[in-house]
Amino acid sequence: MKPLHYLTLVLLILALIIALVPQNTTRPYKLTADQLLAEIRTGTQFISPDEVADKIIQKDPSIQLIDVRNPREFDMFSLPGAINIPLQDILSENNFDVLNQGTKMNILYSNGSTEANEAWLLTRQLGYQNNYVLHGGLNYWMETILNPSQPGNIAANDEIARYDFRKAASMALGGGAVSAIVPASDQGAAKPKPGVVPVKKKKKASGGC
Amino acid sequence: MGPLAVNDIISSNTNFFLAFVIGIGFGFVLEQCGFSSSRKLAGLFYGYDMVVLKVFFTGGVTAMLGLLFFSLFGWVDLNLVYVNPTFLTSAIIGGLIMGAGFIMGGFCPGTSFCGAAIGKLDAMIFIVGLFIGVYFFAFGYPLFETLYKSAPMGSPKISTMLDLSDGVFAFILVVIALGMFYVSEWIEKKFPREEY
Repeated sequence: MKPLHYLTLVLLILALIIALVPQNTTRPYKLTADQLLAEIRTGTQFISPDEVADKIIQKDPSIQLIDVRNPREFDMFSLPGAINIPLQDILSENNFDVLNQGTKMNILYSNGSTEANEAWLLTRQLGYQNNYVLHGGLNYWMETILNPSQPGNIAANDEIARYDFRKAASMALGGGAVSAIVPASDQGAAKPKPGVVPVKKKKKASGGC
Repeated sequence: MGPLAVNDIISSNTNFFLAFVIGIGFGFVLEQCGFSSSRKLAGLFYGYDMVVLKVFFTGGVTAMLGLLFFSLFGWVDLNLVYVNPTFLTSAIIGGLIMGAGFIMGGFCPGTSFCGAAIGKLDAMIFIVGLFIGVYFFAFGYPLFETLYKSAPMGSPKISTMLDLSDGVFAFILVVIALGMFYVSEWIEKKFPREEY
């Protein structure tokens, strides 16, 4: 056989293989399952409503609120300065620059935590950083920030301080007025009750060590 | 895995070093293929020696299959591989100028340096002409700018234009390349010229 015939054979076989195998279009996952599991277990992606409220009131330029609900719900109510990236568009090329960047802190939110957390899971798996999830979602936000419940008389000092902060935040962020709108936007009958964890201490007790 | 993004995985100095090593390898292979002889290059246009076409098509097809297989194995993320943007008008005009220079001078830019490296005078003259062209373009850039930047197309792929998968297009291109190899064998037999 002439060299050209060998070349023909080799190239044709390789080309046939590459033509027949499905194209590798999957974006390579950057984290192993173990790494991701560890992150999920520690829950580092969650950011508390108080922290977010504080940042919004302070007009912190380093945060970007991202609403992952559908545009209809976004139009009805959204947090101040939020942009809308519905969950189904989370992998779209147009949103790549927003979600994968190293300067801003993206805070994803949905009605509960689920959708925002799903969005976070996808972006984290792709190796994007700086994406966080509003803990408890908008439902919990309503409960804690916009309509805070008064702690009992024997509550600890920091609980009362937190209540005071939430009351102030509620005024700053227009609580009460919006509280009537959001339940209307959730037309589903069985609105998942946000996982209202009995409010634990937000920050670890300092001192000691 | 790859590509070796500069300033991310490798430093720009390492990048230059790799370019240096690859450049030497490229020049060596060009010389060994006989590309430092302008007769061999001109042979493409007269039909007695089609080795230029064969070498460049083999190179292109090999690189294409290699990248597709690397992507298949997850060794290279093709989305991160830099592709030069296409400016259609300047590509066509540049191609015509390059082709004309190729026939007249008997070298392309890379092979002229190979020829100069083994001491060919015509190759050295060609390099002088090349630099005159570079200066002419650089200093006349404002004149050419609109032409240079017209018809920008981003980084298109023929496979997406034809709505084919990359793999199927690669197969078609390999078949075309092999067809050209056989046709060029036939042309070489038809226009023999042994004395060069």
